Amino acid sequence: MATLATEHVSVSYPGQRLAALADVSLTIGADDLAVAIGPSGCGKTTLLNLLAGFIRPNRGRVLFDGQPVTAPGADRAVVFQHGALLPWLNVRDNVAFGLRLQGVERAARRARADEVLELVDLPQAAGRAIWQLSGGQKQRVGIARALASPSRVLLMDEPFGALDAFTREQMQELLLKVWAQSRRSVFLITHDIDEALFLATRLYLMSPGPGRIVEEVQPGFSQRYRAGESARAIKSDPRFIALREHLLDTLFRLRRQEEAA
Amino acid sequence: MNPLDTTFEAAPAPSPEELPDSTDQAAPRLTPARLRVLSLLAFVGLWWLLAHSGKIPPLFLPGPEAVLAKLGVLATVGFMDATLWQHLGASLARILLGLALAVLIGIPLGVLMGRVDVARALLDPLVEAWRPVPPLAYLPLIVIWFGIGELSKVILITLQILAAVLIATAHGVRHVSPERLRAAESLGASRRQLLWHVVLPEALPDIVTGIRIGLGTGWSTLVAAELVAATRGLGFMVQSAAQFLATDVVVLGILVIALVAFALELGLRALQQHLAPWALHKN
Repeated sequence: MATLATEHVSVSYPGQRLAALADVSLTIGADDLAVAIGPSGCGKTTLLNLLAGFIRPNRGRVLFDGQPVTAPGADRAVVFQHGALLPWLNVRDNVAFGLRLQGVERAARRARADEVLELVDLPQAAGRAIWQLSGGQKQRVGIARALASPSRVLLMDEPFGALDAFTREQMQELLLKVWAQSRRSVFLITHDIDEALFLATRLYLMSPGPGRIVEEVQPGFSQRYRAGESARAIKSDPRFIALREHLLDTLFRLRRQEEAA
Repeated sequence: MNPLDTTFEAAPAPSPEELPDSTDQAAPRLTPARLRVLSLLAFVGLWWLLAHSGKIPPLFLPGPEAVLAKLGVLATVGFMDATLWQHLGASLARILLGLALAVLIGIPLGVLMGRVDVARALLDPLVEAWRPVPPLAYLPLIVIWFGIGELSKVILITLQILAAVLIATAHGVRHVSPERLRAAESLGASRRQLLWHVVLPEALPDIVTGIRIGLGTGWSTLVAAELVAATRGLGFMVQSAAQFLATDVVVLGILVIALVAFALELGLRALQQHLAPWALHKN
């Protein structure tokens, strides 16, 4: 069972008075779709960079299956907001890129890429150039690239933040499908509270000054979606709305306290 | 590809010729392409008129047809012990050798400057101090050290192209998207793989631009160097023709020099489009 965890991690950047992250502990289990949400400056990107191994904590530890994380690795694939695709490769070769780095031979990695493109509903685009894709299609390729590699965790950095509202809803449903079928754990950061509530099995509400987790919730709506309920029905459920208002209320209360202090 | 495209094709829009026209029906439309041709024709026409006005002797300005006739003589009989092709070949061989050396040295060094802070700090002041110096200013020193043979001209050209390739490569490498590097690292790329699969492909359009700029300035430097010290080459041909007042050869030499510069530029633009078509579509 793959679990990714942080133990009392703190990160401060030079020249900044407040820590970007202060004493953050969390555990992402093998079946989890964990979501960190909070206003800008709450440290959610720092948290993702720690889990990916792009940066190291000043204090505390990041553990993957009990082993300390010290560098980026193929077991934790990152999906970026703008895709970070390689425009000199076509769609299929972008998806197969991780396998190419591992030395998988051409025919095998192409077959795997086509399989994953099918999973993200983009099989017809395999031969296309990256600049011919729409924003939503680019994100599908980014997700497919992470899925094609032998990663066990997907780290998603505001993956749908640059998409229009309609495409974003489609991508959220796609992510839930992919997450269920690919048996990977997911850690996603977002500033969209509906998105966080809809997707998360575990939701971490974060607040700035210093960046920390202020509340942990297990909303359970993604399980209802997997059980067959429609996305719109879930998002208009009074429980969904009540939980959203509760989280927003918490954030605003914290901001008022901070401003008063 | 897109089903919508075919429906648009099925009902073609009226072509410009079929549209009602408010301007004079007889006047041909002045598209930019036609204006370009017109400009060149006007230049040759003016040249012909001046040459045949009777006011300027052919010694100063031979007519276009006289220069064209000279092309036949130069191509077969030649001038100063060599045909036009041998002069052209000598110049091209020098610039291509200089280009090859500059690329071999400039790209690895540029990558080093772009990727390693220490290397950049050490090399940057030297490159920046040497780059603006006109190459003809240090040609005499090169001649003192290496003589007036082929070697000094190739060294001069190499230095000239090297500056452009080095700076463009370092710039391209430094501006590689950090997100792409991180994405590749999180897919398990080693440092070596990052270089081959992310850094170099992304810097490629910049590197080709550096080569384009380098070849352009390198060509002018070469011709100037041949004016000073050479026994063959286009610059030498023009210079010695001037000493014998063979103005038609001078004019023809200048035209060939211009044509080669133009062809180099067009060739490299085509190469850039072929190697990095994605660079035209910023996303």
